[in-house]
Amino acid sequence: MSRLQLSALLVSLAGIAVSAYLTVLHYAGVIPGCPVTGPINCEAVLSSSYAVIGGTAVPTSAAGIVWFGVSALLWTRPAGRAHLVWSGVGLATVLYLVFIEIVRLGVICLWCTATHVLVVAIVLIALASRPATNTARE
Amino acid sequence: MSARRPVRKGAPLRKPVAGTPGWVMPAAVVAGIAVVIAAFWVIHWYTTPLAPPPPPTQSETQVVLETITSLPASEFDSVGQGSANNLIKPVSGTRLVGSTGKPEVFYLGAEYCPYCAAERWPLIIALSRFGTFSGLETTTSSSTDIFPNTVTFTFRNAKYASQYIDFVSVETLDRDQKALQSPTAAEQQLVTKYDTSGSIPFIDFANQYASTGATYSPDTIGGMSWRAVADALKQPDSTQAKAIVGSANLITAAICKATGDQPATVCSSATIQNLEKTLK
Repeated sequence: MSRLQLSALLVSLAGIAVSAYLTVLHYAGVIPGCPVTGPINCEAVLSSSYAVIGGTAVPTSAAGIVWFGVSALLWTRPAGRAHLVWSGVGLATVLYLVFIEIVRLGVICLWCTATHVLVVAIVLIALASRPATNTARE
Repeated sequence: MSARRPVRKGAPLRKPVAGTPGWVMPAAVVAGIAVVIAAFWVIHWYTTPLAPPPPPTQSETQVVLETITSLPASEFDSVGQGSANNLIKPVSGTRLVGSTGKPEVFYLGAEYCPYCAAERWPLIIALSRFGTFSGLETTTSSSTDIFPNTVTFTFRNAKYASQYIDFVSVETLDRDQKALQSPTAAEQQLVTKYDTSGSIPFIDFANQYASTGATYSPDTIGGMSWRAVADALKQPDSTQAKAIVGSANLITAAICKATGDQPATVCSSATIQNLEKTLK
């Protein structure tokens, strides 16, 4: 297992841990500790209507567990096209969630940002590990 | 133009062509993300209204109030708890009664507070099933706080009459966070005892139940007018009805527990009876 592959696996496991923590707190009805200063407000984000998957009672963080779980499984194998595609799915979701936080709610949740950073880290590792394609025959 | 040499079949692969360095793509992605996030903040600043929506006329306000205080029983039964978060917890203490000796519902909030703005809608709907309000005025939450300009009503000049309960409200600050009303010493004791987090809105249901915070998120009615909210409440499937009518049902169940299930026309419905069981 390469160093990048191992890094991605560890980042995925960290993502599962943070997402699981947020999911457990959601079902316990508890808001995680987080400073409320300026544009930072975890309670506003995690108690908003966007904190659950549309029309259900399932917290968005549960989807995070699934995404990081699949990512962890993928990174037990050498980098390939699937890693890039899955990272792209994660990045698109993160951008959507950040759009909701900033544009719709006007505040940022630090715990959510932690998972977003982990997703971006996996995207960067996937890009750095992508197979070389610029070879030619002479 | 240069002629290409023919490719010999079976020729070995040559070394990768020296192209773009490996760090360029990740750096470009990071830069792209930064630009997108900056764009989101710009959109936010441009789309956040600095001024509250124009207040409705007196007749429009009357229409809105009549709409939300005369929702049919079928609407309440259809929504049930809806999407409301049950924040109503049992508390113990001497039964809280009002000046007329009836069970008292005590509310503490502030006009600037968006969560109070959200919670007043279901509170008014629920209390209107037990009595009648007068003097309710429209207002909005602060323009500079989170969920700015959330449309709502204020209890600052409201009066409430009911044969089943007393309702006492305190709006501590106006929407500009200037002092407005103060709780009495006895009311402050209730807040100290049951609202240990110090959050608002705080509602005490006759010292039998208490809730702190909003049972749904203010963004549910973000950007809407009073009339739009009232119209949405007539549709049981709307997001607003599920949140607000669902919250009103929870509040109704707590009040019914305090009144000994009076009046029966409200409290004996299967919906309220089921919700009373969830209050424990």
